[in-house]
Amino acid sequence: MDRRKFVTLTSAALGLAPWARSSWAQQGVFRIGSLNPITGAGSPYGTGMLKAIQIGSAEVNDAGGAGGVKLEVYAEDSQTSPQAAVLGAKKLIGVNQVRAMLGVWSSGESLAVIPLTNDAGMILMNTAGAPALSAPPVNAKLLSFRLQATNDRFGRAFAQIAKREGFKRPALMAFNNASGIGNTEGFRKAWEAQGGQIVASVVYEPNRPTYRSEVQQVLRANPDVIVTGSYLTDTELLLRAWYETGQQVRWIVPGWAAGPDLIKAVGSQVAEGMISVESISDEGAPSYESFVSRFLQQTGMRAQDNVYATMAYDEVILLALGLQAVGPNATSAVLAAKIHELGNPGGTEVYRYADGKKLLAAGKKVTYVGASSRLNFDQYNDVTPDFAASFAQSGQFVRKYVVKL
Amino acid sequence: MTFADIVNLTLNGLISGMLVALPALAVSLVYGLARFPNAATGDVVSTGGYAGLFAYTASGSLLAAGAGAAAIGALVGLASYYLAFRAILRRSVITSLLTSIGVGFVIRALLGVMFGHQPRTFDMPITRAARWHGVMLNPTDGQLVLVTLAVLAIVFTLLYGTSMGRKMRALADDADLARVSGIGVERSMVTMWALTGAVCGIAGMMVGVRTVVSPDAGWDTLLPAFAAAVVGGLGNPLGAVVGAILLGVLQEWSTPLVGFVYKIALAYVVMLVVLLIRPQGLFNRVQGVR
Repeated sequence: MDRRKFVTLTSAALGLAPWARSSWAQQGVFRIGSLNPITGAGSPYGTGMLKAIQIGSAEVNDAGGAGGVKLEVYAEDSQTSPQAAVLGAKKLIGVNQVRAMLGVWSSGESLAVIPLTNDAGMILMNTAGAPALSAPPVNAKLLSFRLQATNDRFGRAFAQIAKREGFKRPALMAFNNASGIGNTEGFRKAWEAQGGQIVASVVYEPNRPTYRSEVQQVLRANPDVIVTGSYLTDTELLLRAWYETGQQVRWIVPGWAAGPDLIKAVGSQVAEGMISVESISDEGAPSYESFVSRFLQQTGMRAQDNVYATMAYDEVILLALGLQAVGPNATSAVLAAKIHELGNPGGTEVYRYADGKKLLAAGKKVTYVGASSRLNFDQYNDVTPDFAASFAQSGQFVRKYVVKL
Repeated sequence: MTFADIVNLTLNGLISGMLVALPALAVSLVYGLARFPNAATGDVVSTGGYAGLFAYTASGSLLAAGAGAAAIGALVGLASYYLAFRAILRRSVITSLLTSIGVGFVIRALLGVMFGHQPRTFDMPITRAARWHGVMLNPTDGQLVLVTLAVLAIVFTLLYGTSMGRKMRALADDADLARVSGIGVERSMVTMWALTGAVCGIAGMMVGVRTVVSPDAGWDTLLPAFAAAVVGGLGNPLGAVVGAILLGVLQEWSTPLVGFVYKIALAYVVMLVVLLIRPQGLFNRVQGVR
């Protein structure tokens, strides 16, 4: 072969390759965008979420796919930043031609990405908390599913716990974003509805080297408990600033901020008595046990430390069961309605994809009992999980009781 | 709001100012000699955080951590000069600025790949502040102030008390005149990059001790450092330090009036006002050009 021929043939082959691939792709593959916070504030969870989505789609593919197609996962790092999330989503939608977006973590990212997924008419599954994500106009098409409790529900759980612990003078500290403020405002609503009063309230900016002035201002009102809508790093700085003052106060902190990492960072003495509130996985469910062991085996990470990984896993299984039920060519609205149904009681309860697939193929109605919670999607496709109150005791969080809303 | 509260705000402002002072000094030093705003400053700060953390974990001594952070910071500074900035020495500011943004990305990505994005902390007990009539003084902050002052003393002695410093200042003042007077650019550049790297490294260790060590930690100090350097007068090392502390204190003082969300904007409002009234910065003289 002479050089000219070689060049012509090679370029022809290169030019045809993507062509061939896409026609093959349209026949047998359903592409999923996995848009996770691998870096940034969500980095403790993002990698686990991606792995969970991969584990979930492997499970689906091993069971012969969903509705006749295989799942294919395309991943992008959202950097826990709305801007990066939008770029990632655009790439996943435009270049990789994914047909569902899973594993979106925070409210900021989800609120930024949802207009894109709505325009593309695809399912979005997130673990964000912001109340704005529920209702129209944001979720007017009801294509977005939320596997994490809303901040409003977190706030209500906080208020129940604060009441049960006998606190009288709560103060609020919120990270300045939709989720942080959503948490404390949810608490405020629930607390004031019980006839309580908030003694002080501060909204603080991210990425400051210290929050000492902020904490000092709140402590001036002499609260007996500080309720936060915060993340890991800023919570650490809040605790540091508070402990320095020597003033007595207790803390109620969302579980995504208050885990083993927080105690490691501030020391057990500082953390002692702190209350961490977390939506809990459905721990009795076989789906949970099976996921936890596979997750540990394949990643070396503990799913117990990453509730979002469990949620991301449920996202894949739900999507796949939906695809199995309505087929890969159904419209998103039909698919979304089916997923809503699969996440609610009324069908035969299943815990594994393969079992659900069998029943669906036999024309039965199915309810998927999630590993992350019993799901129970409300009219906005938001889950209503239970919450656990864990208390920091000599270096670890010990679960004391469960709160139902 | 009592008098003690105001004193506390002032102290808090001093501390946040001190944390920004060293990166601002580094920005100013680079600008003075190489004539561009170095956007990789923050990422050298992050590197210093990791170096300090590892040195501290290995030795248990903050002094060793500081030395380790300074050494690694200096190495990274030199590497960035030899691998990137040297090649574009006399190019336009835009070229240099874009290069520095690229260098920053490379450093941050390397840190992420090597150490992961999980924030890490110095394993140090948190100390209670001493209270005196409501005024709170924290021993850790005392150490932080001492370290900053020591670094500043060393840098300024080097700049104003040695012949290398005199050469660097001459180059900063008028590069062509300095060159025809027989001052070697290369040696001054090498010294400057090593020095700013070391300053950033120590800054990174201090940020790490106060907050967390993560690949993004330094990035958060970059914009405040730029603002401080501009307020003080770009290229003026003393101005950068005073600018940082001034902005830190003004931000805290503003909180009773504007709250905590808008205090950050205040730094940039001050910067705008300074640029309007004294475009050369608070500490720079206007120089006539003939």
